[in-house]
Amino acid sequence: MSGDLQIVAYCCQHCAYAAADLAGGLRMQYPPAVRVVMLPCTGKLDALLVLQAFEDGADGVMVAG
Amino acid sequence: MIVAEQKTLEEIKTLVGSAKNVLVAGCGTCVTVCFAGGSREAAIVAAELRMASKLAGDAKAVADVTVQRQCEWEYLDEIAEQVGKVDVVLSLGCGIGVQAIAEHFPNAWVVPGLNTKFMGLPTEQGVWAERCAACGDCILGLTGGVCPIARCSKSLLNGPCGGSLDGHCEINSDVSCAWQLIYDRLTSMDKLEVLMDIQPPKNWKTSRDGGPRKIVREDLRLGKEE
Repeated sequence: MSGDLQIVAYCCQHCAYAAADLAGGLRMQYPPAVRVVMLPCTGKLDALLVLQAFEDGADGVMVAG
Repeated sequence: MIVAEQKTLEEIKTLVGSAKNVLVAGCGTCVTVCFAGGSREAAIVAAELRMASKLAGDAKAVADVTVQRQCEWEYLDEIAEQVGKVDVVLSLGCGIGVQAIAEHFPNAWVVPGLNTKFMGLPTEQGVWAERCAACGDCILGLTGGVCPIARCSKSLLNGPCGGSLDGHCEINSDVSCAWQLIYDRLTSMDKLEVLMDIQPPKNWKTSRDGGPRKIVREDLRLGKEE
């Protein structure tokens, strides 16, 4: 993955974010292009949040929950 | 409520044209609850316009604002300064909101971002249906609270017609026959005798046929200053 890419990952606090936290604890690697944003729940995700990420320069948006 | 639908982004882009500064104006009442033109939709349309114009190499400054009701001068006063600074206002209000902005701000160029559809209600999540045609002379007292003007495809006053089949209208099997609904309701209320009166032709002067309508309430008007 190119170092210039920016992927915003919206993660649910209760599952995907906790999993990412655990992966970090296990010293597992993920590309630096991925920027994790914690949401209280991915049900909070709105089209506006996705558009905001793209407007602010993201190349891609990932939703994990 | 007034029910509306958003225009396509392509049409909105055409309406906005070459304007550099755009204000997307949402409305906090009917079009908010039908998810067409509230603050959330205004922010989304503004973001879409910013990105689309940037991709087209013609980056526009697009802001959004939402007032409680676009159809009252007092609420429009709150956005007077913002309206005065832009080349075009994209109103996400109903047709009344668009016209109120045009009337209240004579120097503002305003374009509609919605298609105003009808007066109705949500029958289930994500489904809205027409209920009132604003005929100006309500006959719901004769029909058990089901409007044949708005809900019968022919607006019949004495129905049903021969196109009623198994409770549905001949124009589309998804459309309920209003007169079947009226008959069923009056049956359940034990008031079928209401249907024994044949209704004479309706006076449509109170509807759109009499031209634009207006109500003047002298008891509510402010007295002239001496």
